Amino acid sequence: MSDTVTLNNPVAASTDAPALLIEHARKDYGRAAGGRRDAVADVSLNVSRGAIHGLLGPNGAGKTTTLKMLLGLVKPSGGRFEILGLDARKPGARARVGFLPEQPYFPQQLTASEAMALYGRLAGLSRSEIAEQTGDLLERVGLEGRQKTILAKFSRGMLQRLGLAQALLGQPEVLVLDEPASGLDPIGQRDVRNLMVSLKEGGATILLSSHQLSEVETISDEVTILHQGRVAARGHIDDLLNVSGQTSLRVLGVGDLPAEVAAVVCDIAISGATTVFSLPDEHVRRVIEQLYDGGWKIVSLQPKRASLEDYFAALLVAAEKNKPNDTASKGGSDE
Amino acid sequence: MNKIAAIAQAVVADAVRRKVVWVVVVFAGLLAVAIPALPSYGVGIIDGVYKQVAIALMWVAAIVVALSLAATRLPVEIERRTVFNIIARDVRRWQYVVGTWLGMFLTLGVVLLAFAVATIGIGWFTYGHPMFLLFEAAFATWLEIGIVMAFTVMLSTLFGAVTSVVGGLTIAFVGHAAVSFLHLPETTRAPIWFPSLDTFNVINSVALGNGISLAYLIAMIVLFVGYVGLFMVIGSYMFAGRDL
Repeated sequence: MSDTVTLNNPVAASTDAPALLIEHARKDYGRAAGGRRDAVADVSLNVSRGAIHGLLGPNGAGKTTTLKMLLGLVKPSGGRFEILGLDARKPGARARVGFLPEQPYFPQQLTASEAMALYGRLAGLSRSEIAEQTGDLLERVGLEGRQKTILAKFSRGMLQRLGLAQALLGQPEVLVLDEPASGLDPIGQRDVRNLMVSLKEGGATILLSSHQLSEVETISDEVTILHQGRVAARGHIDDLLNVSGQTSLRVLGVGDLPAEVAAVVCDIAISGATTVFSLPDEHVRRVIEQLYDGGWKIVSLQPKRASLEDYFAALLVAAEKNKPNDTASKGGSDE
Repeated sequence: MNKIAAIAQAVVADAVRRKVVWVVVVFAGLLAVAIPALPSYGVGIIDGVYKQVAIALMWVAAIVVALSLAATRLPVEIERRTVFNIIARDVRRWQYVVGTWLGMFLTLGVVLLAFAVATIGIGWFTYGHPMFLLFEAAFATWLEIGIVMAFTVMLSTLFGAVTSVVGGLTIAFVGHAAVSFLHLPETTRAPIWFPSLDTFNVINSVALGNGISLAYLIAMIVLFVGYVGLFMVIGSYMFAGRDL
């Protein structure tokens, strides 16, 4: 990463430094003789202040291990980690960070209020601040009226919501969210997305880790895609996943597509009265006119985007072809 | 210090609501009620026998509660990732280990206080006079089992619940076996290097004597602080190097 800030005075540097900086993070398990396994081989990240940065990758890509190294839960084998310009290992560095782990659990016999009081005190809040913020945050995540409920009675989704609430205690400048929509129903997932957008508007920086493209694509300013413990690509999600020269069309109608249309489209998927397909950009105008003439209704029109699964499959193919090379990348790793 | 206190307070709130703690206390209390039915009760030293059995029950109840809490707390918190929400904040790992032990130690204090009050009440009701010296025995038991707890927590920073329970039981057993292990005469004190817990055995002083002196009480506290401090330092060091 070329835009690394060298920090001599952490207090002064903290105003200019990126919100999160990870350089050449590495974590291996086991001994060399016994077959060393790299959970994270070489990951670098630079998250600007006030941005939502998506960290994408399939299961086992190294997302969670990278976050754990940043937050002191796992000892790195190598690399540099900074939070708001401070060495992440130093006392105080994590004071302005809120963290939601994947599938969070809490002491089961505590009430929601008691759990919030615990995390509030650990965040350095006074009793009055904790009382004030607990009510607001529980309401914000949809747990109003649950303050006195024992956590053993909470559902999976409610624990996830409580995890979000505790991460927001103390109004942290940086939020690290690991699979925040995990365990939530569609409405809950939408609420979480809206919450993240409003937090960003309030000036917070969010590092959002997920293996679900849908969780990240609509709100992230930038994404980093990890694959097999390395950065496979980084940039805006449209630049990474949009398929050049192709448009995706969703239409409503009954019966087969007109023959002239069927001749130029591909990747056709039909569900009930909805048909989704893609076609070359140059045919879009003509196909739309033909569909209108045939009584079809156009539901959406957007650049064709590869699914994350397709993207990873392409990465695997590229990696096989370029076996001696370490990084198979569309955007290219900039380490 | 505030962070240690916050963690300890949460541990107490969580632990005192666990059924296992109060099942043990109630069971031990029922046994205390049954003490007058013991065969050896006819030897004449009624108070002494009652107090001896009550102290033994107190010790057994305390060790069951202590091991059930101390051996499982850290392994379960690590397995369920409860610990993530704490360590990812600006909390040092030693603060988490010490706070967790302190919370369980305070819970044990509540349990022992409740049991001591119950046995004193039963004794008062049965014999017509209070046996307040049982508070001294409860305090000595609290300190001793607090050490066993610290050792168990130390083990649980690296090992699972079963290993930690076995370790805790071992230190409790070895701590009272210096005479047997080292073939010492009955009245001899264990050498300084031996992890003896005999100092906390006040059963004779409380059951058959006039209790313990202030100097003895201070000696117990000093020994307690030394052992717990040692185990907490080692446990914190072991936990600091562990990936979660």
